[in-house]
Amino acid sequence: MAETGGYGSNMGGRYPYFYGPEGRLVLVDSALEAVSRGSTTIGIKTPAFALLTSHIKPVRSLIDPAEKIFAIDGHVGATGSGYIGDILQLIDELRLEAQKHRLNFESPIDVASLAKHLGSYLHNYTIYAVRPQAASVIVAGFDQTGLQLYQVDPSGTFMRGSGFAIGQSADVALDVLQREYSADMSVEQAVALSNTAIERALGERPVVEAGVVTAQGKQFEKLP
Amino acid sequence: MTTIVGIKTKEGVVLGSDKRASKGFFIGSKITQKIAKLDDTLAVAIAGQLSDAEYLIKVAKAERKLAELRRGFPLTVKESSRLIANLAYSGLKNYQPYFVELLVAGVDQDGGHILTADMSGAITSEDFASSGSGSPIAYGVLESAYRKDITNEEAKQLATKAVAVAMERDPGSGNGIDVLAIPNLVMEVAK
Repeated sequence: MAETGGYGSNMGGRYPYFYGPEGRLVLVDSALEAVSRGSTTIGIKTPAFALLTSHIKPVRSLIDPAEKIFAIDGHVGATGSGYIGDILQLIDELRLEAQKHRLNFESPIDVASLAKHLGSYLHNYTIYAVRPQAASVIVAGFDQTGLQLYQVDPSGTFMRGSGFAIGQSADVALDVLQREYSADMSVEQAVALSNTAIERALGERPVVEAGVVTAQGKQFEKLP
Repeated sequence: MTTIVGIKTKEGVVLGSDKRASKGFFIGSKITQKIAKLDDTLAVAIAGQLSDAEYLIKVAKAERKLAELRRGFPLTVKESSRLIANLAYSGLKNYQPYFVELLVAGVDQDGGHILTADMSGAITSEDFASSGSGSPIAYGVLESAYRKDITNEEAKQLATKAVAVAMERDPGSGNGIDVLAIPNLVMEVAK
């Protein structure tokens, strides 16, 4: 009998299977698919700053758009793409971890530890019969090791880098970033680049929310 | 009982201690090691219950190593002190306090640091500090001779003198002196 839905036939119809026939985690793949339908979101890092931008979908004129750029701690910010409820939970997990570090060590947490923590938090959702979080997150911050930019995916994978794009048509946006990235950009130029990338990805002039942390200021701030 | 001293210098930090472990009015040991190195950049001088102090140091050593492996660079002296103080504080609040007063001494990217951590979980940052029954006497020596631009070699002599003077009049301290100097990290030339 052909299998339907996400349940193995020999499991009494109770547990969803984890691995598909190709050896992929189907639930995680579905979460990634959900992320790829989220609003296009970009992270850019140069030696001088790390920038986060996220496309704001104008829904209805009477409805205020949801906040998409989040302060995690004074020196760290994050944004995400995917289901907004899932993003918010991951953002809160990051905020909690940042404050725990301040309690335990009386010092600001480094961005790598935050990315690692979020990675292992998300990994937990891939080993049990639960719904993996449908959200990718980009974290930017300034710590003891300098400016940092990370992307964390629903699989628990985290990557360090200088340019990330997630959400709808992320591959197109990432292509634009790769082609037009330069290390000596100003913040304004980087915002313009991310606008171009999102515009190229969606085919429309985007409304974006942005946040930046500079090597000089060392504090994460939302851009007006 | 005990006399321990810690001195911040322009070249790093110096710790000094006596070697007596008291069992009431009896000298339990004459060769006690009261200065414990956690690694090459951090050491702790112990006053109080030796067993409690050794346990705290063991846990702090493990946590410090673990944190360094996880995040890729070591804990600062202040971070390590907060770690130890949190352990002490949770002990206090669970009605099973660690009967210790520790001098945490170490070097990091910001230079040398001397901090005191006691059983209440309080930490204070100092230029120099002393603890144990001989500390009022040791403080007399430290207060009269400490300078901010003291070198490690001078601080070793000052620590030795402070502990020696305390041993002269404090019956809880005696049987020789240990001194440990930790030099500042050699800063890499900025790329």
